[in-house]
Amino acid sequence: MIELGLHIKQAEKKIDNKQIVHPFDLHIEPGEVIALCGGNGAGKSTILRMIVGILQPSAGTIELNGLNWKEQRVEYLEQIGYMPDHFQFAAGLTARETLSFYAALRGVPKAKVDDALRSVGLYETKDKRVTQFSKGMQQRLLFAQAIIAHPSLVVLDEPTNGLDPYWMDAFVELVKGLKAAGQSVIFTTHQLQVADAASDRAIFLMNGQIVQSGTIEDFRARYGALGLHGAFSELSASPDRPATAHMHAPAPEKPIPSSADKQQGKVSVKIKGRRD
Amino acid sequence: MGFRNPWSYSFLALFTLFTLALMVIQSRSYLEGYTYSTGTMLTLVLYLLPLMTILLSSFSLTAEKEEGSWQLLSTYALTTSSFLLGKYFGQALVLIAIVCFGYGLSGVIGALLGAGFSFATLLFLLSFSICIILMFLGIAMLIGALSQNRWQALTWGVSVWFFLILAWPTLLISVLSFVPYTWIKPVLQVATILNPAELVRLFSVITLGGGSIFGPEYYKWVNWFDSPFGVVGFITLCFIWISLTLLIAAFVWERGRKHD
Repeated sequence: MIELGLHIKQAEKKIDNKQIVHPFDLHIEPGEVIALCGGNGAGKSTILRMIVGILQPSAGTIELNGLNWKEQRVEYLEQIGYMPDHFQFAAGLTARETLSFYAALRGVPKAKVDDALRSVGLYETKDKRVTQFSKGMQQRLLFAQAIIAHPSLVVLDEPTNGLDPYWMDAFVELVKGLKAAGQSVIFTTHQLQVADAASDRAIFLMNGQIVQSGTIEDFRARYGALGLHGAFSELSASPDRPATAHMHAPAPEKPIPSSADKQQGKVSVKIKGRRD
Repeated sequence: MGFRNPWSYSFLALFTLFTLALMVIQSRSYLEGYTYSTGTMLTLVLYLLPLMTILLSSFSLTAEKEEGSWQLLSTYALTTSSFLLGKYFGQALVLIAIVCFGYGLSGVIGALLGAGFSFATLLFLLSFSICIILMFLGIAMLIGALSQNRWQALTWGVSVWFFLILAWPTLLISVLSFVPYTWIKPVLQVATILNPAELVRLFSVITLGGGSIFGPEYYKWVNWFDSPFGVVGFITLCFIWISLTLLIAAFVWERGRKHD
């Protein structure tokens, strides 16, 4: 029987004998949203690159809906939409031409290009050259490219980089839309409030190791209103923490600190909301 | 997308200027077939066109790596061979459009001034240029596959161009001086096949009736190209050359994809 969803078993990545990602297991159900969190160089992007086949795991297996990259590469990749972190668009092409190119590669009818542009708020600027776009607009176009073919797994590397607060909220809604359509999503982010709002589960990485993972409710149960921020603060305080902790059972709730700055023994709490 | 590349327009301007200069050279010649000015023009085309092809096309491949677009494309259900073939034909289209424009414009200006290329000469130069483009595109794909960035491609590209175009005659003479006399002919034949610029030049000059300038060592080539199988044989050799370079490029590219 075909196991639906993404199944990663004991995958690891070594480059020149350096352990970039330690062996890990991960299972993503259809319609599940996972956030990969952690500092710079934690191994988040490497994991995503292994999932989409840009990097090959040094050991272990990665299967998507029963398909393996090495044995059924074309079928495997047909199920994936990927948004890279670093990307430079081709000079001279408009947003519509760029998206039409990627749509054609996926065999998506041209009519859907405008719908995708509308969904990321770029329809009005569809005939503008992409190189004239701001970072945030380019990110939205890359996002549209990743979702245009309705893949079963959407892999997003730092999708909220350069987005203004309005589009961060819109991103959360778009991810919820993908989830509602039964598509799985895995994304990396430094914006923990986005991870908190958009994902079902969060995984914290440090030095290529999963150091904490659990549902958003698990994190809230353990860290109170701080949620993922609490987990990140704890990891930052103990940067060499080696053991993997899975939060399947809620830990005793920590008292919620009230305000301000860590140097003064205080923690600031940001309240989400729009000023208008 | 190659038509949106600003480099293509720089090469278009350069090549057009170049063909206008050829037109001026040709305007001093009143003879048909292989002449001194035809030979000069072939040599000039051989200096510029391979370098243009190698740089424009290998940069097009390395840019894909440097700008992250290959990383994105590699997550699409796209095979390495279809990617490289797409690049090959796309670049061929751009480069052929450049040479067509260049020769076309100099042909029109020449016709208006009443001095310049005859239609037959233009057609010959165009065919010669297309052959050079198609052969060197294979080399450019290989250089692009081997290089990680544009600087590497530039170094490799200029080195290959220098070796095949500029240094070739001198190198050949030097190497042949160490070879026993009876080996000279076979070595020359193999060497001619190994250098696409030399192969195309040889075929073009022989087709124009200038085969005698190569001397007795090339007698077999002259006879062979003049025979009914000459054209078919030449096309087959070109096809093998292009296929081999593309196959090696695909192998190198695919190895990089699997070993990342």
